[in-house]
Amino acid sequence: MNAYSLGEFGMPEALGDARWTDELILSTWYMAETGEIPDKLNFKTGKSDGGFDRLDFTYLKESEWLDHSNDIDTKISLNRRGDSKNNIEIDIPWYGGGMSYGSVSVNVMMSRALNAKKWNTFMSTGEGGYPHELLQLKDNVITQVATGYFGVEERTIKASPIVEFKYAQGAKPGLGGHLLAAKAGEEVAKMRGSVPFVSLFSPFPFHSTYSVEDHSKHLDWIETVNPKAILSVKVSTPHDVDMVAIGSYFAGAHIIHLDGSYGGTGAAPEIAKKNIAMPIELAIPKVHKFLQKEGVRDKVTLIASGGVRTADDIAKAIALGADGCVLGTTDLVGMGCTRCSNCEGGPSGRGCPWGLTTTDVELQELVDQDWGSKRLNNLYAAMQWRLRDILRKLGLSSVQELRGRTDLLKYIHKETAK
Amino acid sequence: MLESATSMLTESESNHLTLAEFGAESARIGRQIADSYERFHIHVEEVDDLDPLPHRFLVKVGKIGLAKFIAKEVMMYFPHFDVILSRPCTYGVFSGPIGGFAPRPKLCVGCLRCTVQHPDFVKVLPNPKMTALGDSYTTHGHIAAIDEEAKKGMVPVRGQGYRGRFGGPGFDGMLTDMSEIVRPSRDGIHGRELIGTSVDVGDKPMHLSFDKGGNLMGRVPDMFTIQVPFVFELPPGNLGSDALARVVDMTSRIVDTLVCLDADTVSRLGMDTPNIVPVLNIEDASRAAEFSAARLVEIEGWDAHAFGQASGATDAIVGVRIPFEEGWQERLTNAVDSGAKVIHLLADLHGRGPCDTFVSDLFKEAHTLLIEQGRRDSVTLIGGGGIVGADHVPKAIISGMDAAALDLPVLFAVQGRSRGSLKHRDQVRGTLPKKLDHDWAVQRLSNLCGSWRDQLLEILGAMGIREVRRLRGEFGRSMIVKHLEDEAFDGIPGYHGGVYE
Repeated sequence: MNAYSLGEFGMPEALGDARWTDELILSTWYMAETGEIPDKLNFKTGKSDGGFDRLDFTYLKESEWLDHSNDIDTKISLNRRGDSKNNIEIDIPWYGGGMSYGSVSVNVMMSRALNAKKWNTFMSTGEGGYPHELLQLKDNVITQVATGYFGVEERTIKASPIVEFKYAQGAKPGLGGHLLAAKAGEEVAKMRGSVPFVSLFSPFPFHSTYSVEDHSKHLDWIETVNPKAILSVKVSTPHDVDMVAIGSYFAGAHIIHLDGSYGGTGAAPEIAKKNIAMPIELAIPKVHKFLQKEGVRDKVTLIASGGVRTADDIAKAIALGADGCVLGTTDLVGMGCTRCSNCEGGPSGRGCPWGLTTTDVELQELVDQDWGSKRLNNLYAAMQWRLRDILRKLGLSSVQELRGRTDLLKYIHKETAK
Repeated sequence: MLESATSMLTESESNHLTLAEFGAESARIGRQIADSYERFHIHVEEVDDLDPLPHRFLVKVGKIGLAKFIAKEVMMYFPHFDVILSRPCTYGVFSGPIGGFAPRPKLCVGCLRCTVQHPDFVKVLPNPKMTALGDSYTTHGHIAAIDEEAKKGMVPVRGQGYRGRFGGPGFDGMLTDMSEIVRPSRDGIHGRELIGTSVDVGDKPMHLSFDKGGNLMGRVPDMFTIQVPFVFELPPGNLGSDALARVVDMTSRIVDTLVCLDADTVSRLGMDTPNIVPVLNIEDASRAAEFSAARLVEIEGWDAHAFGQASGATDAIVGVRIPFEEGWQERLTNAVDSGAKVIHLLADLHGRGPCDTFVSDLFKEAHTLLIEQGRRDSVTLIGGGGIVGADHVPKAIISGMDAAALDLPVLFAVQGRSRGSLKHRDQVRGTLPKKLDHDWAVQRLSNLCGSWRDQLLEILGAMGIREVRRLRGEFGRSMIVKHLEDEAFDGIPGYHGGVYE
């Protein structure tokens, strides 16, 4: 489990950016290596000057803190409708977001799925099919159905406790998906029913969906194939995200998954990442409040993703009104990603030099499934510890008590931060 | 098509065409017209660097440390010299005859694998020469993006999400909307080529009038169309070289847009073409007559007499350039009152106007002013200042402009360099590549236009908007980060208006 040890050599000068600072990346590596929170690195916030990075908690006086204990409940329920479908509870308020086979290797998918099993949570296939190896972990795998229907099969829908409809993704909202030719190798193409080394576009939007009624029919289709599966609807964060959310609820969604614009793991046009749709911090309260106003907030699970990096971010997202979060980049950083952005192939055309976002036959072997899952296990352990630490300092014995508690947050202005 | 069918009907009466023949002939003409349709397309083609930007990273290898490492590997792997001598870098930074002893930083993409695994003797550093480019507004990030766009003509695509700050000042504080289900066409991402980016420039009457005989009466449109909602601005500062003027002239013809050049340069170089907009000083307004091919002539500043002189001297549309300085609203109103149909508004190159107001707010004010006066659609507004990124074009249009004007991007597209502040137009100091190859520069600038147009299509496609003209002044399809923060963080202790208020 010895991974990357940099302490005595100082910070790598070219590492990090405003959202994922050098300290944030190093602290994630530290947690993945040790299972503990680092004491000399800022593991809580980046330097983006807004959103999660300007929010903090107003803790109780130390004398009022609860003891740090495993009794502090971090479970959340994913089915709040009270219907006959799977009644799923996960042990931590987050699960793994969709990263398709093709955008990442089987080894990465398996590492995430093995870890999801350990933590009684989930990981999503993304839109690229369901590699055979994953079937052994099917109880912890979400099947994603997206606009290109790549790899969508009846057997994998039947196998999944949760089926996720991806309408849009935060990094490239409204633009569909795009797997570049260099990454669509033989195995990937076979899985997707395509020709090797041809760019694969996942169009936008679902061509069968032009209304909430159409959306409802989509969900009905899954219900017909797998009557027990709970349904997640992944959408981006446009101006009317609150209306989209309520529409999804009335169409039958159990989980409304908001994907904010500052996240994303795969390749996306630079112009889309920064400019289209809103950051998740701003979308969560909008949707939470609207669902409350409509009287359905307790009937649906609100999941946030797209720029959620740390346990602190998760706690802040929940305080803003989410039930839980989805992680993507954090998992990859936990497995060694430096966020160099060459996921789409880079000049080598082979994809990630760390063997993460690649299906290059040599590079993907850099990630061993057992190694990857152990690193993620350590990372999740440290994150759960930190989440409990936040909860106890707020005097809360369950993460569910934190939902929508904006009164426990405080906004740190630049001058205050100094 | 209608005209052809009508003339055929007349023909059929005299030559006794059967209904079937008429149908077949109509279909043939229809097909002919359809086949002759050419979708607007900007030809892009990757071109080599002439004066490449400093590389992003520096790679430093401690030779003693590397020697020790090799010695250690000799002990471990002898006699497998292929293993001992391999210095695996996916990008080949440590390839070459003497491997890591002479690293090749030009190949480094900053994956940091080397420095993370061997922090004791490999360092990868950001190149200070790169980060020193530009100024506080037009950053090295903008310059690097323009350079890449002009080199490849593609939409820049990278992995791993957004890396910058949350919102930000100026255009960074504006986000564009998207629609979960509404699309401009049923072709999804492939249908974006069907999105229109053309803009009408000039006088558009709000309706047409016909007499009883079907003849057009009253005002007729006095306008022309350009294919992209951006034009090339007067070269700022010392950048007004003849060579660059010829480059932007040729590019504007290829892309079918406009380029503003001072009237003297246009005369001296004999560049009187429909794509050139000669810019005249107030005292030279009567020289508008010299440019017979021009479709648009602009007067530098508002002066009623000069406008009248120029309008009387040319059949071209006479536009008025109005800097965002104290009293610009009155000058804008007066110009439009006097019949100006094209107003070219100018902020400084940091996009600032009076009281440091950012250009997006100034654009909105100008747009709204004309709406309140009930004549917005009869005037074309071109806005310049602070447009240095592909996203700035749709944001300027959302703010109310019909088209945006590009100034500094031209310099950086042809791999020019700047010195000092890039705020004031007249104080810009830059240098162009010593041997500015005309064809090379035209292709670079065309590539930039192709890339920026494609990125505009991405924005329009995500919104479900079918043509850029419908984006103009659509404030409701933008989101202002500060407003979103006010809504999201209202009631959170300590929040009183966000960071960028």
